[in-house]
Amino acid sequence: MSTEAIAAVAPAALQNLSAPLPVPLELGASAGAASSPSTGFSDLVTQGLQQVNQQLLGSQTDLQQLAVGNVQNLHQIMIRLEESKLSFQLMMQVRNRLLESYQDVMKMQL
Amino acid sequence: MDYSKAFAISASGMTLERTRVEVASLNLANANTVAGSDGKLYQPLRVVARTAFGDAVTQGLAGPAVMVEPTLQSPRMVYEPGHPMANARGFVAYAGVDSATEMVTLMGAMRAYEANVAAMNTSRNMALKALEIGANA
Repeated sequence: MSTEAIAAVAPAALQNLSAPLPVPLELGASAGAASSPSTGFSDLVTQGLQQVNQQLLGSQTDLQQLAVGNVQNLHQIMIRLEESKLSFQLMMQVRNRLLESYQDVMKMQL
Repeated sequence: MDYSKAFAISASGMTLERTRVEVASLNLANANTVAGSDGKLYQPLRVVARTAFGDAVTQGLAGPAVMVEPTLQSPRMVYEPGHPMANARGFVAYAGVDSATEMVTLMGAMRAYEANVAAMNTSRNMALKALEIGANA
């Protein structure tokens, strides 16, 4: 990329930079007054659990295909297994943090 | 999930290398064949992978575009006078497969596949390490 190209892009980029700036300020000002339709934390957890469950079910189907011998390429199955394992681990870590903070609150002296 | 992109990139490389191994195996399997009943000789194949550019690669959407094309290798003429497929001068046309080249292709493809697996394992280990942040602190 040459300097001309940068110079050609720069004014538009600057405009883009200056234009969205008022929007976050407005958001910050009106955050207390009108709350956006926010999803609750439990919804978030339910969604994440459903995603993890979907991935686990998918890898189960993959494993069945592998056992039957109906496999196109092995590495796709292995990669999908790894992905579902990783998302399961992420779910477990979130659960650990949640339990930790819950127990901290429960142990609080009143 | 960001790591799935890294996985997809490695998977496209693995697919390419597997195709190379398959084509090399096909060439080797047909190395000592003569023309079939239709008179056509086996034409050795070669994998041509065109690289993909732009955002598609970084998004893990596109790997190299793999094409299998015939090489224009001339047939290997072997002098076998008693052969049923021999021509008037006693030569038999075998498929023009260079087995040394195919073996080198096999080795290179296996090493490249291993490299892709290593890259995938690295990104997987990084994701697992990231999940250890703050664990048993």
